Amino acid sequence: MALARPKTFLTGAGLVWRRQRVLWLIYVVTLLLAFLSTRGIVSRTAAVLDHSAEAEARLVHGFDLGAILELQEIPNSPLAGSNQIFTAPTVLSLIFWIFVTGGLLTVYYWDEALAFGTFFEACGEHFWRFLRLTIYFLIVMIPVGALAGVASALHARIDDKSVSPLTAVYFGVAAGVVILLLAMVARLWFDMAQVIAVAEEERAMHRALRRAAGLLARNFGSLFWLYFRISVVGTAVFSLALYFWMMIMRPEAIFKAAVLGQLMILWWIATRLWQHASEAKWYSEFRGMQSSRVPAPGQPLVSVPVDSPAVPA
Amino acid sequence: MERRWAQLLLASIGLAGLVWLLTPAHARAKGSDARAAHQAKAAPTAKPAEAAKKSGAATEATTAPEVAGEKPLSTRVVAYQIAASLDPSKHTISATETLTYHNLTGQPQQTFPFHLYLNAFQPQSSWMTEVHLNGTRGQQPGEAWNPKHYGSIQVTDFSVDGAGDLTDKMQFIHPDDNNALDRTVFQVTLPKPVAPGDSVVFRMTFNDVMPEVVERTGYKRDFYMVGQWFPKVGVWWKGAWNCHQFHATTEFFSDFGTYDVKLTVPQDEIVGAGADLVATSENPGGTKTLEYKSADVHDFSWTASPHFTDVEDTWTGSAGVVKIHLLMSPGHMKSVPRYLKALKGALEKFDEWVGPYPYDRITVVDPPHGGLDAGGMEYPTLITAGTSWDMPKGMLIPELVVVHEFGHQYWYGMVATNEFEEAWMDEGINSYSEVKIMDSLYGKSSFFNFPFFQLSEDQEQRMAYLADPDADPITRLGWKFINDQSYGGITYGKTATVLLTLEKMLGEETMRKVMHEYFLRYRFTHPTGEDFLKTIQDVSGQNLRWFFDQAFYGTNIVDFRIDDAHSDLVDWWDEGKPGQKVQHPLYRTYVTVRREGDFIAPVDVVVRFDDGKTVTEHWDGKDRWIRYTYVGKSQVAAAAVDPQHVLWLDRDFFNNSYVVAPDTRATHKLENIWVFATEWLSQLTSWLT
Repeated sequence: MALARPKTFLTGAGLVWRRQRVLWLIYVVTLLLAFLSTRGIVSRTAAVLDHSAEAEARLVHGFDLGAILELQEIPNSPLAGSNQIFTAPTVLSLIFWIFVTGGLLTVYYWDEALAFGTFFEACGEHFWRFLRLTIYFLIVMIPVGALAGVASALHARIDDKSVSPLTAVYFGVAAGVVILLLAMVARLWFDMAQVIAVAEEERAMHRALRRAAGLLARNFGSLFWLYFRISVVGTAVFSLALYFWMMIMRPEAIFKAAVLGQLMILWWIATRLWQHASEAKWYSEFRGMQSSRVPAPGQPLVSVPVDSPAVPA
Repeated sequence: MERRWAQLLLASIGLAGLVWLLTPAHARAKGSDARAAHQAKAAPTAKPAEAAKKSGAATEATTAPEVAGEKPLSTRVVAYQIAASLDPSKHTISATETLTYHNLTGQPQQTFPFHLYLNAFQPQSSWMTEVHLNGTRGQQPGEAWNPKHYGSIQVTDFSVDGAGDLTDKMQFIHPDDNNALDRTVFQVTLPKPVAPGDSVVFRMTFNDVMPEVVERTGYKRDFYMVGQWFPKVGVWWKGAWNCHQFHATTEFFSDFGTYDVKLTVPQDEIVGAGADLVATSENPGGTKTLEYKSADVHDFSWTASPHFTDVEDTWTGSAGVVKIHLLMSPGHMKSVPRYLKALKGALEKFDEWVGPYPYDRITVVDPPHGGLDAGGMEYPTLITAGTSWDMPKGMLIPELVVVHEFGHQYWYGMVATNEFEEAWMDEGINSYSEVKIMDSLYGKSSFFNFPFFQLSEDQEQRMAYLADPDADPITRLGWKFINDQSYGGITYGKTATVLLTLEKMLGEETMRKVMHEYFLRYRFTHPTGEDFLKTIQDVSGQNLRWFFDQAFYGTNIVDFRIDDAHSDLVDWWDEGKPGQKVQHPLYRTYVTVRREGDFIAPVDVVVRFDDGKTVTEHWDGKDRWIRYTYVGKSQVAAAAVDPQHVLWLDRDFFNNSYVVAPDTRATHKLENIWVFATEWLSQLTSWLT
């Protein structure tokens, strides 16, 4: 008897909506990190711009790239070291995500609001496991990166030899799509390992990865289609919003742009949480369907490993 | 030469379809003085750009009259006859050259120097040493040289009519740096001198090995851009031979004359050249020979590719009809309307503002992808452009390159300055013209024009200058700059910025007259920098030596700032009665202006009060600072030094003004972007965990 496909695309989104505290927690931490890391450059820039008539003329009613270049060239440039503002938040954010993933998957898998203490307990319980998973993921991404390197070299070679510039472009797009899909599959595999680690309280991450690989192999269509749709929807909405900000919004609409930018970040975080929630929901329903399987009359009742039967895609 | 090509690589998104209606330019009746100097030309038969065709014969039809018999526009010192054959399988050119040199130096000449530019692309050359030190396009300092970019030229036979074979007398010289291994200049001493007014005929056989395209010459796949490819005699200038070695940052210098060039190439090649095609013949063995002639030019370059699409068009100016050839590479046809609009706009503006374009042709070569190192170069009546298949329409690089390189038809082509010694006179003056024309054709955002951000051409030039503003003066010899960045920033950016400053000081109309007068005085000659500066003074009627000494010959920095602007109660010491407000307070306002830089120039200072009144002061700028004090019922609202940015050279416009009430909008705008970018980048890590 075929199992029904878990309908988790929208229920995953609903889960993110219902358990908003996770989303807001991550957003606030993200905002805080970005806010703190940019204080230095903002105050230095304010010292130059806030009392200058030039700033209004060139940066408020438009965005004169020359003004930014000029800010870079002037003595004691306020933009000196501006690239460093990204470093600390990125590293801290990576650590925070490793930490928080255990808690958020617990919330999504059991679909219940956890007390703060319980939530952070779940976070802490899975931190080292998910750190190991992150390291494994980076190792898995090495061949994908190597493939990207080979594709890049091939692209350069085709570009060098081909009379038409588009031959290399087509190759680049095709190679890019393949590499992106591979990266998505790898991410999905590790996402499912995280879900299994939380749902099954699996402590050995190599075992979680093995079980996730089997689960993914037997339910690839269902799981990948779920992950892929969310990725596409998330990226499309984000891109549209970016287009609106860059191409349509009036340059003077500074407050509105700030709000839009933060909504975009919120959406970006929500997209990732949507993937986690859908995957957790998928697994939860998948387990539920398995446990509800009733043997045919006359057949002996057997216990079935949770990841053994395939769900038709 | 355009040195900002890295920006082309920024092209990343699809170009929205755009169509410019190509209307033939109307003939304008003006410039009669110039017209008299040119041959009468037949009425144009305008062909629309849609008449693009792709055949080997595309460039072979010519509308040019025979060169012979025309009244010369220039003093024709040289006459080159070259027969060259391209071997695409080996990327080589074998050729014979006959050079007739007319000794108009006013004295006997026995020793003649010649350029062999292609030998710069040899490991031991001065050019290569300089590139190894400072890098060049696509080459980092210290980076190993890819052997495919080696090129060379070898003269195998050298004889002189009446003196016989002098091959053994050829001697490599290195006047600039004593690099004994540099082979970019050789000289020959004749058995007896050539008397003033006499001519001497040199006959040479030479072989070129073309590099994969580097420094605007060479091949890419089956595309060839062949420039600076034949032995070229030096220029007798200021009482001596001027024949410098080829350097990493320098260009060229040569005399006007005539060219009669026969090119033998495979029959499928579509060829373009900076000359009129006068004859074509097909040869056995699958080759064809094209004969080109040109006069009153100082170089001959050509290009070939079986994949060019030749787009023909015409433009009519005050000197007659100009036939346009766009030789487009595959995948770039969308850029045709952009190229044409820019080219016709440049023809129009130069004709209107500077003087007539006297030639009957202009060829624009669009290098193929991967061959952009051939792009952005000027030769007489032939320029190379540059685009990409996905060039966004808000990125006006193709337009800018065409306008810039076409401008060199005037500032290098006709006003043939010494590019080795006074690079600013072609590149800098031309960059100024480029700014004016780009602004005129495309508005103020003429470099980048996107809804979210913009960049104007004048700002772009100023930023290029400010990247390293005071290492070298404009007038430094081209190969003596501290590095490539300083050469580019000063020669192009600072010169343009200085001329924009002069324009604001003298007025746009006066500056236009300057450029027109300079062109009329010095076309088809080799003027010096002082000739140009003298023209500015003559036309403006002002003694500007104080400005020239600082801006052209010095490295002085312009930087004026409002150091302080505030108002105090005059009776600040009078605390009054408790709770009683002063009814009609008097304020003492202080505005302090500082000259941070070492460039002394007069400036205006404008002080605005909170009742709307403004006061304009004029400061000679000689002291390091000045303080203005006012007493009145109003308080200062803002103060600005040089508010009109007359001194476009000013390093920092932000400190030119002080507004008492802070306006935080610009800071918040940047803050939004920084916070957003930081958040987004940090959130990308969520896909790693």
